[in-house]
Amino acid sequence: MTQERPSEEKPYRRLETQTLLQQIALRHGLEAMEASENGNLAWVTSGFPVEIPIAMNLGVVYPEQAGAIIGAQKIGPEICGYAEDLGYSQDLCSYARSSIGSTEKPDKVPVGSLPTPQILLACNNICGTVLRWYDAISEMTGAPVFLLDTPPIDKQQLPHNREYVHRGVERLIEFIGSQFNRTLEEDRIRKVAELSSRATKLWISALEACKNKPSPLNCADRFLTMAPVVSSRGTEHCVEFYEAFVAEVEERVKNRIGAIRDEKVRLLWDNIPPWHTLRFFNILASRGVGFPADTYTHAWTGNMVGTDTHSIIDEVVETYSKVYLNMGLDAKVDKMCQLIKDYDLDGFVMFSVRSCKRYSLGQLVSKELVTERTGVPGVIIEGDMVDSRVYNEAQIETRVDALLEMLM
Amino acid sequence: MREESNLSYEGVIEQSAAGLKELMESGEEIIGYIYPHVPLELFMAHGFTPSLIRALPGVSSGYEESLQTFACSYIRNLYSQRANGQFLTLAGLLFPGNTCDALQNLGDVWRVRFHDDRVLRLTYPVTRYSQDESTTNFLAEEIRLLSETLSRTYNRPFLTESYDGAIELVQDFRNSAQFLYSARVVNPKIISYSNVIRLVRTFLTVPTTSSVSEIKEAATEVRTTADELGLLSIIESVRHAILEGDYSKVKLPEDIETPRIAIAGGMVEPQAITSLINGIPDFSESAIAIDLLSFGFKSVFTKPPSKSDDHFLEMAKSVLTAPGEPTHEGLSYRMNAMKGLLANFSIHGLIVCEQSFCDPDQFEAPSIEKAACELDVKTIRVPLDPELSDRGRIETRIQSFLETLE
Repeated sequence: MTQERPSEEKPYRRLETQTLLQQIALRHGLEAMEASENGNLAWVTSGFPVEIPIAMNLGVVYPEQAGAIIGAQKIGPEICGYAEDLGYSQDLCSYARSSIGSTEKPDKVPVGSLPTPQILLACNNICGTVLRWYDAISEMTGAPVFLLDTPPIDKQQLPHNREYVHRGVERLIEFIGSQFNRTLEEDRIRKVAELSSRATKLWISALEACKNKPSPLNCADRFLTMAPVVSSRGTEHCVEFYEAFVAEVEERVKNRIGAIRDEKVRLLWDNIPPWHTLRFFNILASRGVGFPADTYTHAWTGNMVGTDTHSIIDEVVETYSKVYLNMGLDAKVDKMCQLIKDYDLDGFVMFSVRSCKRYSLGQLVSKELVTERTGVPGVIIEGDMVDSRVYNEAQIETRVDALLEMLM
Repeated sequence: MREESNLSYEGVIEQSAAGLKELMESGEEIIGYIYPHVPLELFMAHGFTPSLIRALPGVSSGYEESLQTFACSYIRNLYSQRANGQFLTLAGLLFPGNTCDALQNLGDVWRVRFHDDRVLRLTYPVTRYSQDESTTNFLAEEIRLLSETLSRTYNRPFLTESYDGAIELVQDFRNSAQFLYSARVVNPKIISYSNVIRLVRTFLTVPTTSSVSEIKEAATEVRTTADELGLLSIIESVRHAILEGDYSKVKLPEDIETPRIAIAGGMVEPQAITSLINGIPDFSESAIAIDLLSFGFKSVFTKPPSKSDDHFLEMAKSVLTAPGEPTHEGLSYRMNAMKGLLANFSIHGLIVCEQSFCDPDQFEAPSIEKAACELDVKTIRVPLDPELSDRGRIETRIQSFLETLE
């Protein structure tokens, strides 16, 4: 790979809606601070059914998102280091370490330190780590934890699993109610669910637009613009953002404007990105390599429609139990193969994230299976999402070059 | 004190492997399991012998085709054993679901790589915050489905008579093991730690009447000695305290030998710890008053299923009583329980074992350190892998730690 070009003629095109994204991020941050000051702030995991706390008028923030910001600011090693000073191993999830580190030393984080939580809401549909991570934060802040347990499912969700998670959602409502002395109003949850569905549908349409050639969005674009659908779905401003975003994407498609200037090779990205080195995608863009699809941003594609509280809870159970990471290896391989087919991709890059066991263990096997089924080659590169100490750029370059030699 | 022959770690492994082999040669079918908290009675009710499959020292490679180097050292070891042909032929292998990401994913990888193996799964609920019966009902249904799979796949129905016999067998083992653990808390020299955990290991590997007889015999001998020493009622109070979490009636003898240490951790081999401590000059394992490990304390102090018409529900309730497991109990609950135990059993030092790249162990260790510190109990954290690959350095660290307790 070569270095990113410094000239004005970058190999990729910046989205106009990025300005709007910054405004939303700012607004989100201010609202979170206000919620914390008013004693109403929940920290939630990225796969949590956020529609419930939002409908119960809590402010929400996402430590993973804060971790991504810390990574992007290239202060991951320093902030994770504060968690390591407390005794947390460097092998542990770097989202967790950056969250623990920034809770310990908030003044060391320019942007990305989260306001004090009053409640911690975790859902283990993305990994088992969240249980231990939120327990650690609870020990530090005194905020109580609620865990929505979504036991992993294989192929289909069995009735007892559905019933168990359903009861979990009911208990969640009871828990928030008892902590904040409030109830879940049916009108409000219907409204939030509807807004959530609208935002998600818009997000899906943007993702699907990437089937076009050239793709209107590259990996880095999606990683940045996924922020509102992760953190603010269920709100008006989230829908407004995606309406503007989709309009820009459609405009690009209409005029055959690609996210990168000269798309020659189309690849699939698997796993969380290296937030500290998003320029990885831009450097490849200069060689005509784009990523029209990835498994990470496709994780937020559940859709909730319901007519009353009970049916909305049913939708919550269905949507949040069946997220990509809560299904077995077969489901992951199926998803990758489907994306390769639907987006007409030439190969794939699997990022083996050292500190994310749920996403990464099994990749050596799924790489073989995906190539066997699709006939397209792939490569595994290793590193971490926040902690750049374990990201070996030279080694990654060599591996990606080997893949590209097969394709170009 | 009890006369005993102390087998080495390798000797214990060989002994239990030989017992398993003998059983298979006699025509018994074995279902292996990895996570220790399984309904043993279920497998026995279907006519199988459940056997705990564990990591072994001396297995260093074989996993590389399927697992990254940052996979937990325990699962790497298990995979390598299978890849190297070190597993005996099992009728099936049970993987846990929802206990940790590494074991969750290993089950999937195993299914793909070893097509001929019968991979079974039992998914656990995370019970920590529920205050209703939904978690027990979930696990009961999981156990029922597993029972159906066993009947269907192997054509071996659930036999109530076998189930009743299994309940008695497992409970006989636990009664004896709990007594021995409690006796050692009161007087660690009454029976050696390595002997107790060898007996526990033998049962978990080969749960037969013969292995239960052996541990019962050991318990009977210790009971006689304890009676002669006037310690029986204290031992029973310790056992009751552990089972109920209420230490108010525990009063240990005033002349107990010091230092007294406890071993905390998850799926770490108790034998490996004794092997390390016994390798240190001037120290012996009699300093170990108790362990809090998955293959020791947590398996031993699980409550038995009650006899009722709903076998699956009772087995689920039993499994979920395994004390101190992160999946079953929240962090603050676990830390409070540990503090109660450390304070009331006069523990001076705590060795915190962490399996390399094990999320549950590594997340818990700082909280354990903090909790112990609040009681002025000194701690040392020991990163371990099944191969004891850094043995010399670890022994030196433990030696230095033990010296600070004197």
